[in-house]
Amino acid sequence: MTIPRIGIIGIGQSAFKARRQDSNYPELVREAVTLALNDCKMELDEIEAVVYSLAPDALLGITNAERLGVDAVGARNKRFMRINTGGSTGISAMAAGHSHIAAGACDVALVAGADKVGECGDSQTIMNKIWDPIYERPLPLGTINMLAMSAVRYMHKYGMTEEDMARIVVKNRLHASKNPNAHLRTPTTIEEVMASRMISWPIKLFDSCPQSSGGCAMVLASEKYIKDRGLDAVWITGVGHCAESYYIGDRMGNGYIADHADAQALAEACQRSYRMAGITDPTKEIDVAEMYSPFSNTEFHAIEAAGLAKLGESPRMLREGHFQLGGPTPVNPSGGVLCTNAIAVTAMVRVAEVALQVWGRAGEHQVKGARRGIASGNGGDHQFFGTMVVEA
Amino acid sequence: MAHNRQVGVIGEALFAPKSIQQTSLEEALYAVTHAALRDAGLTIEDIDGIVVAGNDQMDGRAITIMMASGSVGGVTRDILSTPSGSEHAFVLGALRVRSGIYKTQLVVSWSGMETDNLSEVQRLSNDPYYHRSLPLDDLSSHALQANVLENEVPQLREAAIELARQLRINGFKAYPEHSAAPLEKVWIEGGKMLRYPITEGMVTPPSFAAVAMVLADQEWIQTHAGKKVAWVHGMGWATETAYLGDRNLSQLTSLEAAAGQAYKEAGLTQAQFDVAELADATPYQALVALEGLGLCGRKDWVTSVAKAQYGLNGQTSVNPSGGAMSFNPVFCSGLMRIAEAANQVRGTAGSHQKLNVEKTVGHGASGFAMQYNTVIVFGREPLESLK
Repeated sequence: MTIPRIGIIGIGQSAFKARRQDSNYPELVREAVTLALNDCKMELDEIEAVVYSLAPDALLGITNAERLGVDAVGARNKRFMRINTGGSTGISAMAAGHSHIAAGACDVALVAGADKVGECGDSQTIMNKIWDPIYERPLPLGTINMLAMSAVRYMHKYGMTEEDMARIVVKNRLHASKNPNAHLRTPTTIEEVMASRMISWPIKLFDSCPQSSGGCAMVLASEKYIKDRGLDAVWITGVGHCAESYYIGDRMGNGYIADHADAQALAEACQRSYRMAGITDPTKEIDVAEMYSPFSNTEFHAIEAAGLAKLGESPRMLREGHFQLGGPTPVNPSGGVLCTNAIAVTAMVRVAEVALQVWGRAGEHQVKGARRGIASGNGGDHQFFGTMVVEA
Repeated sequence: MAHNRQVGVIGEALFAPKSIQQTSLEEALYAVTHAALRDAGLTIEDIDGIVVAGNDQMDGRAITIMMASGSVGGVTRDILSTPSGSEHAFVLGALRVRSGIYKTQLVVSWSGMETDNLSEVQRLSNDPYYHRSLPLDDLSSHALQANVLENEVPQLREAAIELARQLRINGFKAYPEHSAAPLEKVWIEGGKMLRYPITEGMVTPPSFAAVAMVLADQEWIQTHAGKKVAWVHGMGWATETAYLGDRNLSQLTSLEAAAGQAYKEAGLTQAQFDVAELADATPYQALVALEGLGLCGRKDWVTSVAKAQYGLNGQTSVNPSGGAMSFNPVFCSGLMRIAEAANQVRGTAGSHQKLNVEKTVGHGASGFAMQYNTVIVFGREPLESLK
């Protein structure tokens, strides 16, 4: 059976900032919804189903906070559900929205959410609570030291240096300076990155994503709905998810089941999307990538997992300019997660940015001639991975 | 837009130890997953994707799907989570099969009892400015709803007490190891007043349980003979607004919307079922659900309950499992209702199996005063119009 094509017809993103004290949480969701509906010139009444994108609600200090968002997304008496897979929530919610339409439950679905990470107090205290309370929570693990251990392993295995990590930051900050919605938009230098405060070796302050507040919403529709109305759209042609183990200890030491340097489950998720989209050689068939990389080091293994470089080759290719705007395969032309991270919607923004690229609507950070791209999201303790191929 | 493929439930399991103290949450999820796979005659290798539903705060974790993933076989698999409700996990699992991208899905939900104070956890879902300072938890919201209904329907309290008695007796027969007391009307009515007008006897204390279901598409089922199948004929799900002050609590428009969606898909013009498994955290909820599902309007509530029309031998047997009035794992109660409705069609409901069941409906509700409502219609045969 042929999987029906699902189109993206509307995109709305906040201009992300550390704090949005002008808007409460539902208002922030509504802001993104309004932008998305305006983008496709639709009214809320035309939306048949809503998939709500909300990662740990502990970051908002409201349990089941999606309930308060029901009116903001116009879901009263409509189909409504929330998705949470941690940082990958946004792309998982998009996958769920895709399922709604592909299953024939509706023709038009809204995927929406928002976060106020910049106002949560201390996100790492909350993030520590994602781990098992007996074995790994007391270490104490946080998402920064978790991925610092990945960086150390990647350095050991492939020879990555701290300067290589800094080059990712410099590239992404330059990209973000061209993206009006990015949170951190000031270009930086390798020297500035190297001189920034050490957080968890080898990750420094500038190697780390910010805590952002803002929302994102996207309107999806069936191919028939789009064609019947003559709407403009880009198409989701590949969807894939894959999960890794929960315990960090299972990814290191003797007898590990997944190497913490690499991102095997992300690679499998990419392959699942590529198979669905009919892509056999991503180095030739992918024009742009928005890979979820909250710390500079993780962009390397994400690039490799997407098949855009061989294992361990991406630091060299970065030095050669391969992944910057104007290069053969620009990665994170929006500035990526390193410059904007409103966790509940971060992975949705990855899809939104790829959609804008292949639509030719990305503005100053447009990749020339982009026709097909891949987006990814990572959730949990580098545990859940979602990917999506979008094409014009 | 018509749905694309037919989905059947081919496996189910409930794990509900009398005491959870000896079993970790991970072990419980492993146990229920294996039991459901055994019931379906599958191994985890046959599963294309997984949808789970748990509640972070009830489990004392920030992203509880992380803990669950390994136990339910999520490593290397495609796993998503719907924390908005256990019943939403079933819906998403079925949608994924209907999409044609997946042949099989495992759906798992659980109701953790890791928190010291469930009421406080529920109270934190209020907005921090206007409602959090109120003592508003699930039970308070159900009581507000019951109050409005009592005010609108004469003699409703008597009907609610009688219905609670009937459901408790169902539960005593279905799951004697879990069933709740009291069974006598005098004690149901006369127990301690928890939140007016709901007495201690009208509700059942929260329990731990985990429930799992295995779904597959029609083509897959046809090539794997011998499965006991409940076919999904229709699905509907809808939500009310969160703010109780914006709602008329005597009405449940989202349930009417959800039932409308499900019945339309199922090609039903009337709500006629052999069995209905519906949300009944309180007997008032069961009554309002009867109306929302189109089974009994409020003008007939009192007489219908007095005549036991929805008892075990009624035209539509309501909650032969005893429902949440008898056993109340709060978070996964919705998926349990859906599983019970499916089991009646599969002929696997055990001691409370009804004879000659052709069509059933499962209803799950979550949130304050039943904010989310989900309706699933099951049939013994695939839907004729889509064969």
